[in-house]
Amino acid sequence: MKKYLLALVVLLALILAACGDNGADDEAVEADAEATETESSDATESESSETASDWEPEEAIEFIAPAGAGGGWDTTARMAAQVFSEEGIIDQPIGVVNMEGGGGAEAWAHVAGFEGNPYKIFVSSPPIIFVPLNGQSEYGHEDFTPLANIIADYAAFAVRADAKWDSITELFEDMKEDPESITVVGASSPGSMDHMQFVQIAKAAGVDITKIRYVSAQDGGGMTQLLNGSVDVYSTGVAETVEQVRAGNIKVLGITSEERLEGEVLEDFPTVKEQGIDETFVNWRGFFGPPNMPPEAVAYYETKFKELSDSDAFAEIRSQFGWDEFYMNSEEYSKFLDEQKEVLAELMDELGLGN
Amino acid sequence: MGSLEGIITGFQTAFSFEAILFVLIGVFVGTIIGMLPGLGPISAIAIMIPMTFGMEPSVALIMMAGVYYGAIFGGSTSSILLNAPGVSGTVATAFDGYPMAQQGKAGKALAIVAIASFVGGTVSVVLLMLLAPALSSVAISFGPPAYFALMVLGFTAIASLSEGSTIKALISAVAGFMVVTIGIDAQTGTQRFTFGSINLLDGIDFLVIALGLFAIAEVCTLVLNRKDNTMKNFHNIGSLRLSKQDFKEMSGPMSRQSLLGFIIGVLPGAGATIASFIAYITEKRISKKPEEFGKGSVKGLAAPETANNAATSGSFVPLLSLGIPGSGTTAVMLGAFLVMGVQPGPMLMTERPEIFWGVIASMYIGNVFLLILNLPLIPYFAKVLKIPRPMLISLVVVFSMIGVYAVSFNTFDLYMLLLFGAIGFIMRLFSFPAPPFILAFILGGMLEQSFRQSLTISNGDLSIFITNPISCALLILSLLSFAFPLYGQLRKKKVS
Repeated sequence: MKKYLLALVVLLALILAACGDNGADDEAVEADAEATETESSDATESESSETASDWEPEEAIEFIAPAGAGGGWDTTARMAAQVFSEEGIIDQPIGVVNMEGGGGAEAWAHVAGFEGNPYKIFVSSPPIIFVPLNGQSEYGHEDFTPLANIIADYAAFAVRADAKWDSITELFEDMKEDPESITVVGASSPGSMDHMQFVQIAKAAGVDITKIRYVSAQDGGGMTQLLNGSVDVYSTGVAETVEQVRAGNIKVLGITSEERLEGEVLEDFPTVKEQGIDETFVNWRGFFGPPNMPPEAVAYYETKFKELSDSDAFAEIRSQFGWDEFYMNSEEYSKFLDEQKEVLAELMDELGLGN
Repeated sequence: MGSLEGIITGFQTAFSFEAILFVLIGVFVGTIIGMLPGLGPISAIAIMIPMTFGMEPSVALIMMAGVYYGAIFGGSTSSILLNAPGVSGTVATAFDGYPMAQQGKAGKALAIVAIASFVGGTVSVVLLMLLAPALSSVAISFGPPAYFALMVLGFTAIASLSEGSTIKALISAVAGFMVVTIGIDAQTGTQRFTFGSINLLDGIDFLVIALGLFAIAEVCTLVLNRKDNTMKNFHNIGSLRLSKQDFKEMSGPMSRQSLLGFIIGVLPGAGATIASFIAYITEKRISKKPEEFGKGSVKGLAAPETANNAATSGSFVPLLSLGIPGSGTTAVMLGAFLVMGVQPGPMLMTERPEIFWGVIASMYIGNVFLLILNLPLIPYFAKVLKIPRPMLISLVVVFSMIGVYAVSFNTFDLYMLLLFGAIGFIMRLFSFPAPPFILAFILGGMLEQSFRQSLTISNGDLSIFITNPISCALLILSLLSFAFPLYGQLRKKKVS
């Protein structure tokens, strides 16, 4: 019996040690970060406005996915980290950390506390605009340092294969007449992505967006409800629709990209733009650093993310997940984000959402 | 549709040396992970994804599936021995498993669970194989009104989940229902009862409630009743051997709950937890000796364990045949499929039969391995109980805390764990039962959301619940299950 007790205690000690290690690492990162911060601020002073990327990471880099394992943010962070290491683009080890909570809010609050630290990078996408607009996070994209955008994904609006609408304009014509006769389903809550991507396009088509009936359904409920006829339209990502389209169960009325996408099945999806609605919605995904990251570090990451985006290995990953290439450097990215926020804030005002 | 050919391909894949080896690894890892509270199959599978690069997709997926059902298989151990459910699907296991362990029959309890899990797992794989193509239509047959009605049916069981005062059980359930409303409301996006704290935006994690109300509250009780003699048998593990009588008692629940659990598992969003509760409740309802439930009943232990394993196989129906992930774990599995370049969905069965049928066929092997792995290990697991009580109590507290922390890496949740431990202890002092609280917490979220989804769809018209045939049938069933015991009581009164 003593043996098992001993085994248990050893196991426990191991677990504790593992947890303790983590903590210690974090502290080490913090301490080092402070050190590099002072160093780098010294450097900026002496070299003044030189932006050439002569900064190199001297320790492990942390990629934070502000969500649980397995989602879009997590996949992007893990895939990017993997290509960075395997292709030798970045020599320092990169650790991916999941920090779940509040739809990203907890991770953002965490990173915001590491001002100037060039080793804490997180992946983000439109929710960093939606969540603060909904009053669910005190931090928004303007509080962080946008490093680079790398990929894009687009929205798709699907209906059952036997539905009476054959184009997005037919659907919107019906919605203009009686917006309340049609129910839209999506995975996120009102004021978040699946809802707003539909609203934005519907608005451009001239639908009274305050009257759209929207149902939020998690855990695969959206597709289920579309297939069993509970709802009329499913607002989701392009990739989620492909298999059901191939099986002939649903049809995609419109996608929100500028031009048609490549690949079998995908190339058959009409854009809403070609159907005469002059609007797009991009589900962009990119990387951010803590507030006021030193410019040399930003320059460094910009070039590294560009290299990543241009690599064959990442191109393969993009095609595997159905992502589109969409690189923006830090400056373009900031400008893009500001514009996005303006458009969405206006829409949400009209809907009476957010604060 | 060449289904037989597909099945044969599947068996060929599943019985290759590599596949058998990785099933073994998968179920072993799963068992261990299931035993440790907090380390769920979600994180385990996510961690495995990068490790499987370069592996044959079918083999990698077979291994990950093994982790998933292995975790449900192994999750019952800590429920029974420590009253600390490791995975949410095994909360109902603690209702009768822990009392049985307290009576010095821990070995028997673990043996029952291993056999019930094996039967549930295996029967449901047979069903999966025979019916998977046909069942995809069942998986999507439930709209929001039907889910609402299913949850109502679950709620009618609150009274039967308690002993003594029904009023106290109802109060307890209302409290659980209130707690589940904390967080961002999915239908409006507004915050409810978060008091401006970002820690509460996602609501309170299930594990915090389960470990608080069960494990921590139990620890408090144990500390206070140090000299209590009722626990003197706790150190006994007892024999593993099951009598003929035991097998006879188990056979009913096992055969019924394999089927029921499987069907509930097929519904996206329902899953092992709801299946295990509904199994427990139905067995108690139809039992001739319902008073034994909650005190170490063989039936009460076999029912949820059969159902949660059956539901796990069931949840592969929407995943494999529709590409719809019905739970957090299957969502991660879906991610793993995509990484391997396999797109689950309606075309998978015809285009990649070796994967579709391979994963299913490997579950037979996996379940046999689980039984072989678990049965001989029972005496060793059960020895945990021989640890002197002060140490055991500290271990339970430490494991609960690690478990909760491992889910969120947030110290706030640790305070919540202690808070719910205190609430659980106070509830015990005033004999408010904890099971209705946890039942309302599990079912309440879906009850509310599906109710409001239905009303949005119907434009506020309540008749949607009657006009939908599935919902109507389930509501009538709820009414009956509510009226039946009432009628029984009245009749009893008349007789006496």
